[in-house]
Order: sequence, then structure tokens, then C-alpha cells
Amino acid sequence: MAIGRGYSLRQMLRTAAYRAVTPVLSVFLAFLVSAAIIIAVGTDPIVAFGSMLNGAFGSQTALATTGVRMTPILFTGLAVAVSFRAGIFNVGAEGQLYLGAAFGAAVALLPIGLPAFIHIPLALIAGFIGGAAWAFVPGYLRAYRGVSEVVTTLMLNFVAIQLVSYLVDPLVGPIGERGAAYAQSAVIDPAAKLPILLRGTSLHAGLILGLALAVALWILIGYTRLGFRMRMLGANPIAARFAGVKSAREIMTVMLLSGGIAGLAGAVEVIGLRYRLFDHFSPGYGYDGIAVALLANSNPLGVILSSGFFAALRAGANSMQQATGIETSVVLIIQALTILFLIFRPLRDWIGSRAGRPPRLAQDSLIDAA
Amino acid sequence: MQLDVAFLIDWGSAAIRLATPLVLAAVGGVYAERSGVFNIGIEGMMLSGAFVAVAVSYFLGAADPAVASLCAAIAAMLAGGGMAFVHAYLSITRRADQIISGAAINILALGLTNTLYRVVWGSAGRERVAGFPTIRIPILADIPVLGPILFDHSLIVYVAYVLPFIAAFVLFRTTWGLNIRAAGDFPLAVDTAGLSVTVTRYVAVVFSGMMAGLGGAALALGAVRYFTPGMTAGRGFIVLGAIVFGRWNPILASFACLLFGAADALQLRAQALSIGIPYQFLVMLPYLLAVLAIAGAIGRSSPPLALGRPYRRGER
Repeated sequence: MAIGRGYSLRQMLRTAAYRAVTPVLSVFLAFLVSAAIIIAVGTDPIVAFGSMLNGAFGSQTALATTGVRMTPILFTGLAVAVSFRAGIFNVGAEGQLYLGAAFGAAVALLPIGLPAFIHIPLALIAGFIGGAAWAFVPGYLRAYRGVSEVVTTLMLNFVAIQLVSYLVDPLVGPIGERGAAYAQSAVIDPAAKLPILLRGTSLHAGLILGLALAVALWILIGYTRLGFRMRMLGANPIAARFAGVKSAREIMTVMLLSGGIAGLAGAVEVIGLRYRLFDHFSPGYGYDGIAVALLANSNPLGVILSSGFFAALRAGANSMQQATGIETSVVLIIQALTILFLIFRPLRDWIGSRAGRPPRLAQDSLIDAA
Repeated sequence: MQLDVAFLIDWGSAAIRLATPLVLAAVGGVYAERSGVFNIGIEGMMLSGAFVAVAVSYFLGAADPAVASLCAAIAAMLAGGGMAFVHAYLSITRRADQIISGAAINILALGLTNTLYRVVWGSAGRERVAGFPTIRIPILADIPVLGPILFDHSLIVYVAYVLPFIAAFVLFRTTWGLNIRAAGDFPLAVDTAGLSVTVTRYVAVVFSGMMAGLGGAALALGAVRYFTPGMTAGRGFIVLGAIVFGRWNPILASFACLLFGAADALQLRAQALSIGIPYQFLVMLPYLLAVLAIAGAIGRSSPPLALGRPYRRGER
């Protein structure tokens, strides 16, 4: 089902083009419906979408903003995609992101006097560990006790958010800045800050890390033993067991990997952009990851495109609001409609019948695995 | 602030008030999950309900407050039910993943209400509207301590008192309830008995959406009487936790909601009380208890067997 060995380049391109039809059409339909809403509100959708496009790609600053917005959801999208491929539904990327941010910040705050090329990786590793630790309990319960990971990961999101809020509490928090107006930690050690890519903007090296991770995961899933076992688990857990895949151990591995990647999202956000740990700093990056992974059909390289798309929506929304007065939350409607059209089977079936073979999205394997 | 009777009354009364929207939504959620459909979209359905309730009450501003709030409640139920119908269609008829469908509905509700909020109220911002009438039950409200805690509330609170018991009776003592439970535990049996799994699940999911909508109305028209964007602030997820903690039983789930309401009310008073527990730990309590419950640390709590699984004929 994935691009594997033995495919010619032409076949690979054809498969890729075929796979892109449903996502592109879903996005198109979502924009169409949103245009109707914008007309109903009394604005020209061409003007609205034009200003959105301009705000996302129109200038160097706009591109940098899109890149900054893209970084966290690229990581969380990858985190969710990895779990989807193994038939696991990690809805807890949000909480893992917060724990990753807390762990990453804890290391980044230490004035250990090490050079950046050591301090930064240490903070990133801490972030990975934090996220993975937060995914451990749901992973264990799913792998060894058969408890669905959906409710546990979801509930732990809210626990994580409160935990971070406590950590940086200006009155009692262990790393909270005393007497600060906001709930925040102190500024991290300069050596732990990720380098800025574009002078005068906030675009930081986290984006490069995310892109590299996407390629690495694409190789991992498509071309390694672990990736093969993961995909097998996702496609048919019973067959996987017969083939000797130790599903419990595999589920643990995938959950820890997925949680760790979500944790990286948080750590990168702290050491790349904000330089402090704030409470409630994520506007739902973990949940955006679900939409990102879904739109990408859980393909790590596709995640690059879909996270870029959602980031452009967000970055463009502000200039759209300035130009037309339309609420930025229109992008939420676009995002939601994209997902709804994606999972609306007649659309997929219709495309499937055109293309001559049945489409297969991540949630098929999710249902089978449930 | 001191731990005295006045505090107890204030806290208890607030706990009841805060628990009411949760109870209403939880009762509906229990039905949806008992029928085999996970409704993660309760948050969005509550939010739509809250928005529509305030908007209707706003447009009926000149009408009698009781009539306005009744219309608002009905409209809120229709809004929640409508959202739930989309979820039902995608997850039952189209067999799409229930989690993804529900999550999309949450995003959609947030986007729609935020956008429409500006359309309806412009930059004028929040405006108070007519809420549910407050009813002080004679005699009962005069009982010391318990009276003011339990019997001096807005109308919707009393609805939340009786609803869980009716819901439990229907679920556990009637044929309808048996259908719903069977659809969630062993849909093949429902199908074999000549009944429709699809219809049963649709009814349960749409009912869940309507109750979530009513819960939203209770949230918006019960006390604050205006709408703020994103005002449900995760309450729909607390409801999901309460359902798990309440072992998929309407009455137990409602008591879980009451516990969570009490924690929420205490959290709002924790700093003034200086009880030494950071308020964040009180806020996270519902979610933590739900995880412990489902992990088997507090009693046994196992979901309906076919929860989250679409039904296909001829497949086991």
C-alpha cells in the first residue's frame, strides 16, 4: 500500500498524483462552501481569499510567518501520522506537546554553559522524552490492557495543560517567574536558542528540523523493518500477529515515537520561538496535527504539504481580517469542512471508481484495528 | 473567606449551577456511546447550543423572558441535534471514523460561532439577554443549608435533577433502552431481531446532540446570559470524562458531573480560601479521574463492546 521497493518512477508519480486527488478536491470544496459563507456575510470571496494568499505568500515576512506557523503543526502532524499508520489513534499530541515543552524548557533554562550545539540537542532530547513519557501510560494501557487510547490520550491533554500552568504559576510554580504579569518561566539560556533563519523575522531552524524529520520518517515507514511492522499492524492487526509481529511491543514503540515527536513540537516552540515556557501557549497545535495527518493520508512527505497549507491559512487569515473585516475563524470553518469532505466516503468512492481502484485512507485501518 | 455555613451554601449552589450543563450533555452522551457511537463532538454541539440560545433570546428580546428562554432552549436543541445529525450521517451511514468526524465538528462549531458572533453582535460585543427564569421552590428552599443549595435555581437546573433518572429508567427498563444498549454491545443481535441498528444509533446520536445543545443553553442562559466565543472551554471533554467515570450509566455519570462541578466551583474559590492546593490540580481532577477509571484503578469501567465500530451487515 505504501510506496515500496520495486516501483518504477512513473508508477510512483502516478500513485502520488492519484492519492492527491481526494485531498485537493476536499480542500477545493471546503473553499467553495466557505466562499458561500463569505458572500452571505457580505464580502467578495475573491478579495477575501486574495488577501489571504497575499498574507501567506506575498512577501518575505509573509512567507516567514507561514513558516513559523507551519513548524509546530508539521511536528504534531508527523506525530499523529506515525500513529495512524500503525492503526493507533493518538489524540493526545496536544498534551504530549505541553510536556515536551516543559521538559525542553527545563533543560533549556539551565545555565550549564555548554555550547549551543550541545545545549540545543539536549533540550530537544528532553522534549522528546517528555512527550514520550506522556504517551507511555495510554500506550501501556492500549498495548497490555486493551484500553482504547482515544479517551486516555484525550483526557491527559487537559491534565498536561494544567500541569504546565502549575509549573509556570507566578505564585507557586516551580519554574514560574515570581511576580510576572503572565504565567511564564524565565527566559531560556541563550545557548539553547535555535538559530534564526531569516534576519528580521522569527523564522527559526525548527522548520529545518521538522522537514528533516519528515524525510526520516518517510524512510522509516517505507523502507525499514520497524516501518513494515507498523504498517502491517495498521493494515491488518490479526494478520500481523500471525506473521509474528509482537503487537503489544509494537504499539508501545509507536506510541512512544508518536508522543516523542509531539514533544519535540513543544520543545522546538519554546527554544525556537518563544524562549520561555508559557501556560496555554498552544492554540490547539496537537489537534491541528490530526487534520494535517488526515489531509496528508498519513504520509510523512504529504504532511509537509498539508502542514504548509494549514499554516498558510492561519498566516493569511490575519491579513484577510485586516483587508475585509472577516473573522479569522473562517479558516477554522475551512479546516473543518476539509476534514468532513475528506471522510465523506461518496467523494472517495467516486474518485476511486474513476481511478479504477479503491482508495484507502488511514481511517479504514483504524476501524479494522478498533 | 472562611469555611463556614455561608461558604458551604455558596459553594454547593455554585457546584449545582456549574454541573447542570455537564449533566444534560452527559445524559445524551451516555445514550450515544451506549448505542456504539463515540461522540467527541459534544464540545462543539454545546457551543452551537450556547450560541443559538443566546442569539434566539436576543432576537426575542421584547418577548416574555420565560417564552424567550423556552424558544432559545428549543433552538439550542435543534442546533445541537443538527450538528449531531452530520456526525451520525458520517459515522453511521458513511462509516467514517467517529473520532475524526467528532473532532471536525468541534472545529466547525468553533469557527461558525466565532464568525457568526461578529455578524450578530458586531463590535458591540456581549449583550445580556433573557435567561431561564429563577424558581425558588417554596417550603423546600427554607430547609437550612440544603434548601438554598438545591432549591433556589434557574428552571433548567430542575430539569437536570430529574432527567438522569428518566434517562436511566428508559435505558435499563424499557425495550427502547434495550435496543440502544444492544446496538452498542452486540449490534448483530439487534439486526437479527429485525430492528435497525442504523435507526437506533441515529436516534441516540441526535438525542445526544440535542442534550448537548440544551447543555450549552444551560451554560449560556443559566447564569451569565451572554455569549463569548469558545465559552464552553473544554466542558464537552469533561462530559466525556464523566461518562467514563460514571460507567456509562446516566445517574452515575450525572453524579460524576456534580463532583466535577464541585471541583470547578472550589477551584474558583481556592485562591481566596488559601487551602494550599494549587487550583490547577482541581481543574485537572475530572480528567485524571476519568483516566484512572478507564485504566481500572477505580472499580471496573469498561465501554460498550462495539463502541466506535461501524456496523456492517454480514460482518463479525
